[in-house]
Amino acid sequence: MKKIEAIIKPFKLDEVKNALTKIGVQGMTVTEVKGFGRQKGHTEVYRGAEYKIDFLPKVKIELITSEEMVTQVIETIERAAKTGKIGDGKIFISPVEEVIRIRTGERGRDAI
Amino acid sequence: MQFELGVTKNGLIDTKHLMAQTVSTHSSPRDFLRQHSDMVDSLVRKAFQNAQSQVSSPSVCLMAVGGYGRAELAPHSDIDLLLLYSASKKEVLPPLVEKILYPLWDLGLDVSCSSRSIIECLKMAQSDLHIKTGLIDGRYLDGEYEFFRNLYGLFMRKTLHRKVRNFAEALTKDLHLRHQKYEDPNYALEPNIKEGEGGLRDFQVGKWIIRAKYKTDRWDSILFPDHSRSLEKSLQFLWAVRNQLHLLSGRRQDDLTFELQEKIGPTLGFPQGTEGIEEMMRQYHLATQRISNFVHDILERALYEPSLFKKALSFLQRRKIDENFGMADGELNLLDPVTFKRDPPRLMTLFHHCQTYQIKMDFRTEEAVMESLPFIDDRFRTSGEVNETFLSILKKGERAANLLRKMHELGFLSRYIPEFSEVEGKVHYDLYHVHPVDSHSILAVEELEKLRRGLYEKEYPLLTSLIRELENPGILFLTALLHDIGKGKEGNHSLVGAEWVERIGTRMGLASEDKDPMVFLVGHHLSMIETAFRRNLQDEQVILHFAQKVKNLNQLKMLYLLTFADIKAVGPEAWTAWKNTLLMELFLKTTHFFERGAVAEPFLTGDEIIQKLRESLSPEIISEYADRLPDRYLSCYSSAEIARHIEMARSIEKELLLVEWQIEKEAQAKVTVCTKDRYGLFSKMTGSMFLNRLNILQAQIHTWEDGTVLDTFWVEDGTKDIERRLQQFKKDLRKIVSGEVPLKDLLFERIESNGIKQKIIPRVSGVVKINNQDSDFYTIVEITGEDRLGILYEITQALTDHGCDIHFARISTLGNRIVDVFYVQDEWGEKIEEKQKTDRLKQILLNRLTPQERITLKNHS
Repeated sequence: MKKIEAIIKPFKLDEVKNALTKIGVQGMTVTEVKGFGRQKGHTEVYRGAEYKIDFLPKVKIELITSEEMVTQVIETIERAAKTGKIGDGKIFISPVEEVIRIRTGERGRDAI
Repeated sequence: MQFELGVTKNGLIDTKHLMAQTVSTHSSPRDFLRQHSDMVDSLVRKAFQNAQSQVSSPSVCLMAVGGYGRAELAPHSDIDLLLLYSASKKEVLPPLVEKILYPLWDLGLDVSCSSRSIIECLKMAQSDLHIKTGLIDGRYLDGEYEFFRNLYGLFMRKTLHRKVRNFAEALTKDLHLRHQKYEDPNYALEPNIKEGEGGLRDFQVGKWIIRAKYKTDRWDSILFPDHSRSLEKSLQFLWAVRNQLHLLSGRRQDDLTFELQEKIGPTLGFPQGTEGIEEMMRQYHLATQRISNFVHDILERALYEPSLFKKALSFLQRRKIDENFGMADGELNLLDPVTFKRDPPRLMTLFHHCQTYQIKMDFRTEEAVMESLPFIDDRFRTSGEVNETFLSILKKGERAANLLRKMHELGFLSRYIPEFSEVEGKVHYDLYHVHPVDSHSILAVEELEKLRRGLYEKEYPLLTSLIRELENPGILFLTALLHDIGKGKEGNHSLVGAEWVERIGTRMGLASEDKDPMVFLVGHHLSMIETAFRRNLQDEQVILHFAQKVKNLNQLKMLYLLTFADIKAVGPEAWTAWKNTLLMELFLKTTHFFERGAVAEPFLTGDEIIQKLRESLSPEIISEYADRLPDRYLSCYSSAEIARHIEMARSIEKELLLVEWQIEKEAQAKVTVCTKDRYGLFSKMTGSMFLNRLNILQAQIHTWEDGTVLDTFWVEDGTKDIERRLQQFKKDLRKIVSGEVPLKDLLFERIESNGIKQKIIPRVSGVVKINNQDSDFYTIVEITGEDRLGILYEITQALTDHGCDIHFARISTLGNRIVDVFYVQDEWGEKIEEKQKTDRLKQILLNRLTPQERITLKNHS
């Protein structure tokens, strides 16, 4: 099992979610996050006053998937989240030791 | 043991259920509570009498306290007992208490019992609020009646009727602490019927105060009859729900969870499904709202009960405000009770006075308001004086939300703006909307008020300065109050709301400069949210579209403020810094459009142009192309030109490229080129023009969403041989674009044979400016230099070589000076901002502007 974390542009969320649902992903966790990478923040000016946007708003999607699905999930996110411009985000993949569904106590793949 | 009280545990449960079936728990919930309590009374008495016969004990008195004391016993409420004894015989009590409790516990009853002497009771009641309030509701059950009478005589005189203000303070503190626990928005969706805001405990608090302050246990005796009837109805409703909660979950369950809402709805006669649940929760919120208003009002009156000294002082301060109203005891009062009947507009004056003098009206005036509601008719609603006063209350803004809340509570607001009554208590059965629509709307006004008072200045300086810039914040407040008025109707609630606001505004006699923005804002109150959170803000089209929709800076400001208030009033967690960043970015980028005049003149929106296109094109073609045409393109051409362009675009699906021209004034022509976009296209065009000695005066270049390029050039030819040159240009361009011949070969050939020579002319020094400030999406390259044939080709070639993608260009020639502006992005679609890159670009362009560098052309071969 793998955990896939993707940081994407906020307006891409619907597209990514729909694409993932289409390939059979059943659940995900979505968080509003802020940060910066190569795409740095900027300062906006209104009536002479400066308003700093130093951390850019992004959306983080987290989901757990079985080994066989990993490539497909990643490709799907990549395709749906891409604009080709700076700030499209990143995908992180990490191994997951165990998954437990609290209500039933199911473990492993059954719990995903 | 189990049969000690003549009943088994299961038997008791069955009896309870039978009782629930025979005494309808919802049509008369109180009867059920009373019967249930009576049944428990008989069990408790039996247990007490059995115990007394088994254990030798001194004389004691058994009392019911708390909710059980009030004989209000829901199916699984706790049963609180108090055993009063005479001071000396304390040690013999525990065996007696055990004997009483065990058989009751065995029956599964949740009983607790404390034993105190009368003196202990009185002492503890003074130091412990909960013991005190428990005692207020105490009821004699069995044993020495004398003890009970003594205790109550002393308790009333020495404790309850003394220091009422301190009591109110303690209860207020307790109430706030309790509500804090349930402040979490989840509790608003799944409220706690007992402890939550406006719940049963709140009502109790009101009753206690009345008991203490007005020395009566008939709480309804001090209220206006309509008011007490509606409170009683609310209470009945809550009890009905609570009975069901307990019965369905089989335990003391006071959280009205989603799951239970679904189950309870139908048993209380609400229709199955979401609508039924929403209606039930609407009733629920109306009920708790009423109770909450009641308890706050009672508390406030007890808290501000002036001391004797102050009373004397305020007697001197008693004064008349005008012929109808006066001030006394720090409250506003109505001098003549028939004022409102005689002259209904005084109702609005009353609220205005409350704002001006920052005081509350007294009970009797409130009653008079409620009694005069029938006099609020269409004449009142259209009265210029009434409406002006109302707007001035909003415009002033101080405590406006509080006043609106009071107006709403008294039923005044819904009479004055009847449309508002339709959203009263209206809830959404979802996880996001915490408050019913009416309180959400008033909260939105309150958020704006807070913003204006500077309470969010540190966190949201931009919003704060925006609301202070507004000329008439009253209009924004009114919009916030009415923004969701279309909720619960058929169709899109924003659009329905806009229609209603149009009607309300007309009725209020608003000037169109005030009414129009309101109608716009209500109709579009979700636009900013949709654009900021769901659209790509790096895309100029998105911002341009949004700017076109919003139309002007004033509406943009108001929309940003309304969006803030709307989200903030949803619930404490709905508004986040994350959301604000996106909204602010959209706001600022759109502002830049307005301020730089990019969309400053009144212009036709894309939709309007498309509408006009219908005159000349078939609907199928329009629907095929409508989405491909960028707004910037649409704003540059007439609909006739666009129609022709679409025809051209349709034919280049078969042909490589299309060139058309119209010769104007003998030596000048307007040339239109249509083809598919490809790398370096623009410089190929300018190069082909250079080959044919066509001097470019102006150019407009556009790329449609589908990659169709439509460029227009205004060219000039000094030899009056323009038709022939254009024909040749067309041939050359076709060869170059198709890749048949490279441009540079043709250039070299033509320079050699045609002898395109450099003219000797007065010099214009070249200036290149690279501007990253004026556009949020493009780097603007502004080039001024000496005109000569082919200069545009060289410049655009240099830009292309440097990795610049030209999106838009404005070429103009003034005498022998060119002023060219290019909107460019790098190959990733970003602005070119690194200093190193811009410096290099500048240098290369400058080199191209100076004549000696043109020799590079020759070096090519």
